[in-house]
This record gives sequence, structure tokens and C-alpha cells, in this order.
Amino acid sequence: MRIKPGRDGSVQITFDLAEVELLHEVPDQLRLLYEAPPDDPARSRLFPRAYLDPTEEKAEQQWQAVVHPELVRERLAGLERVLGALDGGDVKSRRVRVSLTADDVSVWLAVLNDARLAFACRLEIDDDTDVYRYAPDDPLALEMAAYAWLTTLQGALVETLLGTLPG
Amino acid sequence: MSVVVSIAPVEVEEPIVGEVTVTDKPWVVIVWNDPVNLMTYVVLVLQKLFGYSREKATRLMLQVHHEGKAMVSDGTREKCEADVARLHAHGLWATMEHPS
Repeated sequence: MRIKPGRDGSVQITFDLAEVELLHEVPDQLRLLYEAPPDDPARSRLFPRAYLDPTEEKAEQQWQAVVHPELVRERLAGLERVLGALDGGDVKSRRVRVSLTADDVSVWLAVLNDARLAFACRLEIDDDTDVYRYAPDDPLALEMAAYAWLTTLQGALVETLLGTLPG
Repeated sequence: MSVVVSIAPVEVEEPIVGEVTVTDKPWVVIVWNDPVNLMTYVVLVLQKLFGYSREKATRLMLQVHHEGKAMVSDGTREKCEADVARLHAHGLWATMEHPS
């Protein structure tokens, strides 16, 4: 992956085909998760409660009824934006070049963040987890590598947008 | 030091003379620590959503990181519900409460 940031928060990213394949899987997985039952741990991390106070249960239910469908709609639209950018990329000698506006980058960040939250839930990543520690024959090695790669991409995209905000 | 954009004003009701007035404390929005969200991403989201300076957003992010949580905004119940929804849309773990 090679990232060429513009000054306005836009960015050009050149992916290897294998990286595009990985990114292509993200929206499919997330779509399933968005529609998972409410007690699914990863789903509850993506859609947490607003109120912790149990005496506010009525307010919580009302808030969820209004906000949840909108949050799901927004996230599904985000997945389509990512897929659209990947499919619209320039393919050249086993590489795909994707051009993103600053607004696209914001959308990508939310999607990448959801993907990392979902991975982290499944892989039980906590503050002590070293995602680079896994031996190649560890059953989790490949998923940890995917998580680490998504983290690298997200980190680089955050930097391009931070550059557009007052420092 | 850069100027910090103030959060939305709290609605103030005129006290009724002769009756006991209850302090109208605002609701507060809390962001909780998690092992996934990148520190730079949290700063970006706080700057973008609340218009905070880099300095203020970084201070709040570090407070979340070190103390496990930080109050990132306050106001009426309705404003805090909207703030929590925007934070959730960005994948931050946020809740709201009314300090007693």
C-alpha cells in the first residue's frame, strides 16, 4: 500500500490486489454484523447504549428507536462508498489506485474503525495485545495481521485529515 | 493558546420567586477508553464534532486514555442525546448521564 496525501485531505492510495481483496471482505462482514441480534458482543460495541442509568430505560428505548435505524442507514451507505471507490479504482499491473476526497476519507475512517472494533471483539484484543506477536502458525495469525494492516491504513488516513484541521 | 469553542449554552429557566429553585445541572457526555480506537482518531473526531482546538481534543483524549473516561460535552438532554449519537456513528464508546 502506498499513500499519497493531498493538502486538502484528499488522498491517492495504491493497493496490491491482495489488499483490495481484504478490503472487499470488510463491507460484507460488517453488513452481517449490523444486522446481528442485539446481544451479539461486537454489535453491542458498535451500537452501545446512550444511558447507563437503568432508571433511564424508557429514555434509552426512545433514543434507540429514533437513532438506531439512522445509524444503521448511515453505516450501510458508508460501506457502499468504500466498495464504490475500490471498484472505481484504476487497475494497473496488479495494483489498484484509488482516489479519495476528504469526505471519502471520513467515510473510510468510520468503516475501518468499525472493522477494527469488530475484529478486536472477536480476537479479544485488549490493551496488552501485541498484534505483531503471533507466530505464522498461530490460528489467529492471519486475522491479527489483517487487523494490524487495517490499523496502519486507518492511522495514515487519520493523519491526512488532521492536517486539514487547526493544529 | 488557541481559543476553545464553547459548547452549546445551557437553557436557563427563570427562577420562580417564593419557590425552592433547583439548580438546573446540565447533562454530560462521557467517552470511555477502549483498546481499539487510535489516539489520533479520537483527537480527530473530537475536533470535527465539537470544533475543539487540537490542544483541547488532545487533552480530553489523554484523559480518556489514562483515566478511562472523560467528559467531552454537556448541555440539555436533547443536545447530549445528539452528541452521543454522533460519537457512536464514529465508533467512539460514549454515554450520557445527569450528575447528581
